[in-house]
Amino acid sequence: MRVGIPKGLLYCKYHPFFETFFRGLGAEIVNSEDTSKNILNMGVKVCVDEACLPVKIYHGHAASIKDRCDLLVVPRIMQVHRNEYICPKFCGLPEMIVHSIPGMPPVTSAPLYMHSKKSLFQWCVSSGSAITRSRSRIRHAFELALKAQNSHKTGIMDQKDITVMLAGHPYIVYDAFLNMDIVNKLKAKGIGILTEEFAPCAASESQVKKLLKKPFWTFQRNLFGASAALYEQKKIHGIIYLSSFACGIDSVVIDLIRFHTGDFPMLVIKFDEHTGEAGVDTRLEAFTDMLERRVLNEDNRPTYGQCLYSRQNPV
Amino acid sequence: MKITVPHMGNVYIAVKILFDGLGIDYVIPPLNNKEALYLGSKYSPDEICLPFKLMIGNYIAGIKNGADTILLVGSCGPCRFGEYPELQHKILEHLKYNVEFIVIDAVKSIGLRELFNRIRIVGSESRKTLPGKINSVIRAYNAMCILDDIESQAHFKAGYEKERGECKKILNFCKEEVLSCDNPDKALKLLKDYQDRIRNVAVDYSKKPVKVAIIGEIYSVIEPFTNLFIEDILMDMAVSTRRNLTPSWWLKDMLLKIIRLNSRELLKASDEFLPLCIGGHARECVGEAVLASREGFDGAIQIFPMGCMPEIVSKAILPTISREKKLPVLSLIVDEMTGEAGYMTRIEAFIDLLERRREHVFAWN
Repeated sequence: MRVGIPKGLLYCKYHPFFETFFRGLGAEIVNSEDTSKNILNMGVKVCVDEACLPVKIYHGHAASIKDRCDLLVVPRIMQVHRNEYICPKFCGLPEMIVHSIPGMPPVTSAPLYMHSKKSLFQWCVSSGSAITRSRSRIRHAFELALKAQNSHKTGIMDQKDITVMLAGHPYIVYDAFLNMDIVNKLKAKGIGILTEEFAPCAASESQVKKLLKKPFWTFQRNLFGASAALYEQKKIHGIIYLSSFACGIDSVVIDLIRFHTGDFPMLVIKFDEHTGEAGVDTRLEAFTDMLERRVLNEDNRPTYGQCLYSRQNPV
Repeated sequence: MKITVPHMGNVYIAVKILFDGLGIDYVIPPLNNKEALYLGSKYSPDEICLPFKLMIGNYIAGIKNGADTILLVGSCGPCRFGEYPELQHKILEHLKYNVEFIVIDAVKSIGLRELFNRIRIVGSESRKTLPGKINSVIRAYNAMCILDDIESQAHFKAGYEKERGECKKILNFCKEEVLSCDNPDKALKLLKDYQDRIRNVAVDYSKKPVKVAIIGEIYSVIEPFTNLFIEDILMDMAVSTRRNLTPSWWLKDMLLKIIRLNSRELLKASDEFLPLCIGGHARECVGEAVLASREGFDGAIQIFPMGCMPEIVSKAILPTISREKKLPVLSLIVDEMTGEAGYMTRIEAFIDLLERRREHVFAWN
């Protein structure tokens, strides 16, 4: 049995679990290649026009391996934390894939609730039943997969004189093709990077509690909490928010962060199917230049006639 | 306390009857218009969906007319609608408007006690006794149901009426008269009269008009300004339309959801294509398309605002339904820049296609 696992969306975060689990059941894993122009083109061709770029790329990954596997793992991740969703498109991902790409092999369509071990095991039972009927083998593979997942850590922490927070959904931050290799571009410029994983937990929780309503998206809670906490603790000098065009969650989160941080430097980069890098490079350069001047050269003296403290009326 | 509510189709009429009955001070913002859209898109995030922008426009108009409290319903995800109050509050605060939000939210996210607390804040403004209050709420609910019934009958009979344009005339008169009536009992009576009138419109059932189901995102199908008055356009073309999503349906659905008895038929129809609730009304949209084909409709028009997450999923599924159930589907995506000419052309072309398709030799296999 060959099990295909597309390298898109939350693969970057949860791939040890899926790979170890299916390998433990004795299946052969078929991965798609890293995201490339080819994958993107394939995805754009089959996917609904209105979907966001990561979903289109996921379609490309799925289409590229559909003929080489007997079962395609399309995790319908409903909840990672209790009562928090990921995104409506994740909830309908198997349907989108099956109805958009012709000639699909069987697809795992069981809902995946990750908030407890029991609900996670349920998914394993229903997805693993295509390979084996033995409960004990599934249980064994499941335990191995959990162990592999727990030892897998993502995140970038590289603090320098000037450090920015690289915010954004994991599948944008960790996909070098999608984000035009921003991580290495920043490194080459000597800018330090922090990602949401390294924000202090307690501080970010307390920032989230200040919201009127408890957020129901995990991305929102992570991204808003982390950037607000890092901003309050003055650990970063700016925020670079990587987002994709027409992302519903980001349309809310970016503005929540903006309202919270006021005039703190923040660069929002939206990605879509266009692959020209010049525009992104220019904006990155302008932003880092600005940060350098602000951090290294700024003496924080007011210009003539303006008040020393910001947010007060000029005298 | 002076309450204002954002617009959504005819809800404002029921709201008026409710607050008139309760004796609470209120402001109905002017019906959605270019200015609301302009102000809304100026102050909202770029990529948020159209309903959000229009609501901001409504609030600002309401506040300028003296409102100091905004009443809103909420939900708890996964669609963006649940995050509206959070962001809208911040935007209005940023604009230095001093208003309070009362969000009648889902029990799941705020708990039953908090929900009753919030309802009590509104209720305590009224001087009526408790039975009086309950009576006003029931009256408003009845009004909403009757209004929805009048509207759906008018839309459906538009294809069959003997005298062209009669249904539309009755519908327009009805809204006008009810709105100018300040006595809630009288308003309800008026509505009932109009319900009788629309029931007795002379129809000719031997006609075979094109029948179209209007499906999609709830706000953009109900609020005529967002969909550029598509139902009026179709009424003028003598097309029979049906739309399941109405404000009264929504209320019923929300209440029955607690005991999981909501829209059984609709959800059962959607099982084949989308077995899980993914937020918004994607599942209803898919179910309605299936039902429409089963009930012999000629086609379906899906309308949703640009970037609506659940409807994108249903748009991916609709081509399969269209292929398997032989139901032509037209997807229309609206945002603040929708131009009328391109929109009209597509609707006209679609209706023409449906008409010709009937005569086509392959139409019935």
